[in-house]
Amino acid sequence: MLSRVAESLYWMSRNVERAETLARILDVNYNRTVDRNAAGRERAARIWRSVFDIAGISADVELLDGASLASAAFERCTFSTEYRTSIVSCIRIARGNALSVRAELSTEVWECLNGLYLFVEAQSPRSVAREGPSSFLRSVRDTAQAFGGIVDATVSHDDEWNFLQIGRYLERAAMTARILRNHAFSDDSAHEWQRLLEMCCASEPFAKAQHLSSDPHEALAFLFLHRSFPRSIRFCTHEVDRALHRISETAMGAYSNEAERVTGRLQAMLDFVQIGEILDEGGDRFAARFAERADAIGSAIQASYFPRVPVG
Amino acid sequence: MQPLLDQYARVDFFDEFADQLGVPRAHYAGLAQTLGSIDIAEFRHRVDLVNAVLLQRGVTFTVYSDSRGTERILPFDLIPRIVPAGEWSLLKRGLEQRVMALNAFLGDIYGPQRILHEGRIPAEMVFSSKFYNREMIGFRVPRDVYIHVSGIDLIRGRDGTYYVLEDNLRTPSGISYVLENRDVLKRSFPRLFEHYQPLPVDDYPRRLLDALRRSAPAGISDPTVVLLTPGIYNSAYFEHTVLARRMGVELVEGSDLLVHDNIVYMKTTKGLQRVDVIYRRIDDDYLDPLVFKADSTLGVAGLMNAYRAGSVGIANAVGTGVADDKAIYPFVPEIIRFYLGEEPIIPNVPTYDCTDDLQRRYVCSHLDELVVKNTNQSGGYGMLMGPSSSTIERARFKEAIEAYPRDFIAQPIIPLSCHPTIVGETLAPRHIDLRPFVLMNEEVDVPPTAFTRVALTEGSLVVNSSQGGGSKDTWILDD
Repeated sequence: MLSRVAESLYWMSRNVERAETLARILDVNYNRTVDRNAAGRERAARIWRSVFDIAGISADVELLDGASLASAAFERCTFSTEYRTSIVSCIRIARGNALSVRAELSTEVWECLNGLYLFVEAQSPRSVAREGPSSFLRSVRDTAQAFGGIVDATVSHDDEWNFLQIGRYLERAAMTARILRNHAFSDDSAHEWQRLLEMCCASEPFAKAQHLSSDPHEALAFLFLHRSFPRSIRFCTHEVDRALHRISETAMGAYSNEAERVTGRLQAMLDFVQIGEILDEGGDRFAARFAERADAIGSAIQASYFPRVPVG
Repeated sequence: MQPLLDQYARVDFFDEFADQLGVPRAHYAGLAQTLGSIDIAEFRHRVDLVNAVLLQRGVTFTVYSDSRGTERILPFDLIPRIVPAGEWSLLKRGLEQRVMALNAFLGDIYGPQRILHEGRIPAEMVFSSKFYNREMIGFRVPRDVYIHVSGIDLIRGRDGTYYVLEDNLRTPSGISYVLENRDVLKRSFPRLFEHYQPLPVDDYPRRLLDALRRSAPAGISDPTVVLLTPGIYNSAYFEHTVLARRMGVELVEGSDLLVHDNIVYMKTTKGLQRVDVIYRRIDDDYLDPLVFKADSTLGVAGLMNAYRAGSVGIANAVGTGVADDKAIYPFVPEIIRFYLGEEPIIPNVPTYDCTDDLQRRYVCSHLDELVVKNTNQSGGYGMLMGPSSSTIERARFKEAIEAYPRDFIAQPIIPLSCHPTIVGETLAPRHIDLRPFVLMNEEVDVPPTAFTRVALTEGSLVVNSSQGGGSKDTWILDD
């Protein structure tokens, strides 16, 4: 397939995934911070600061207090076009990517994304704020998730789909890592790690897997290292690794380019590391280190498959 | 309830739908029945549903005059235009004849130039055309096919006679609307559709691909075809995506291609892959910065050399524009006689050649009753509609015609035929034309795919989408 097309598919997929995760994170934290019993003021402020970091939207939030933090989070993370990582920006970018590869997409995939774009563009930020952002955020989340399902069900599972998978799982791994990086590892309260699980869509799968365990370490192990939970860092890295090998047709465990080498190395580490080691290092530090490696995978994919200066 | 049909008023033009007494023509009886049993509220409801579908599908075109490059739906009128089998078989023969002759003309003027030596067309008319491409002289295109795809604009006069208004032989667009309109209309009026059973249009992409594959250089058994687009900001980008998707070929931009040792390649995730046929939707001038416009970023450096070396097919061939130059248009009947020894089946609109002194003088003194067209422009740009023009506009055109007579032709105004169309809350007659798409691969293939454009403004004769025109689904009937 064309390198330009592969690149657009990859970024389209990353941006939809990002919009979806961001919508869920915002929704979870709105619910958590309006709940009187759960959050003190200080904790609410900390939560919103961490949301900014997860969203990659920083700048002058230190000065704001709890209430204005919540509204600032809403403004910057949803409708702001000033930040490239807001929900609206992500959807616009994804739709722009989709437009440039319109011929490669199935009609269903295009219509789903175009529909999401038209929906978001038609919203008035003021009325969404007035009615509470929950239903808006849920619509974004649901449509973005449906998008993934439509991709799986209507795109042939060859290179085109592989690049979509890479974008989806690399972004998801990075987002889970960003969420973990911002987790207060010293805070053992059930409230805090439940919030963590919810942000990763993991509270029900975790409950099922661990039979209502209340051990926070188990929850962390679930998010870092679970073998089959589709948002754990390990699972996502594995999916990226597999998609890369499907594209190059190199055997798993071997590599034919830099992208495969860095991904494979990270994958091996995640396969054999123990949660105790992660916590000894500091979960936040480990997550931050992982996020850097995920960026390195992104750069290596860029260099291997969509070089700026074409080979030949 | 007031049925839509009750609001429909007669006009003093050829009405496709009804005869002079207001009685629906035989092939419109089924539609008349539907229009007689439905009111505006119900109709509006269907229109809203259709528009929502078109927007979500992104069936849009880009308006250049709008600085934000706004995407708009091409207004789609849900009342179908119906062409009976008898009319279509005549048109089909006429189109075959015309495209065959124009193709022969191109092979001749880039080859032996018989028609010029025999004085049937003034040589300076050809050589002065800005679309006459000297790079093509003496180069024999694969299988002698120049015009793989054309869109011939037809109109009907006051007595219902079909005329050819324009030959579009470069990169005519509109076929995507034919395909998409059919798709949505079928859903909105399933019973009417079933009643008429119009010829299907969805075979077009296959037939187009077939024509394109045959223009590959000799000896390539399974050619790789690509569609070359100027990119997402082009007004017809949507169409390029539809065609590429339905044909299953790569949609490429100039920067996706490169030429090495006279071979064209595309840059893929698995390295360079050879390209055998390029269906280009960009103009000649932008194809190759080494030969044409040096600052073009839309094309591919070295493409013309590869083409001339015979390693890649290009559709349509480079240089076809000379045959649809408006100044050549008056000579097309002569072209048909010269190459085929036949009389034209579909006549031309009478046209004044401004390079002829007598005709020019007539044109300049009758500007208020003629339509004047600039031979270097298309899409409804650079036109003077005499009766609705101002004194100042006419004076400006007169001056320009006298200074550059080669750049203008003039025609009497043909009152295009009318068709029932939904306008606001009523059913009203509006002017329409017809653009059948014609394919060519050694033989001419006329699929039952024609685009009807409609001038939505009352009294307007300008149907171009860039000038506020809309479209209709066109149902071509079988015997």
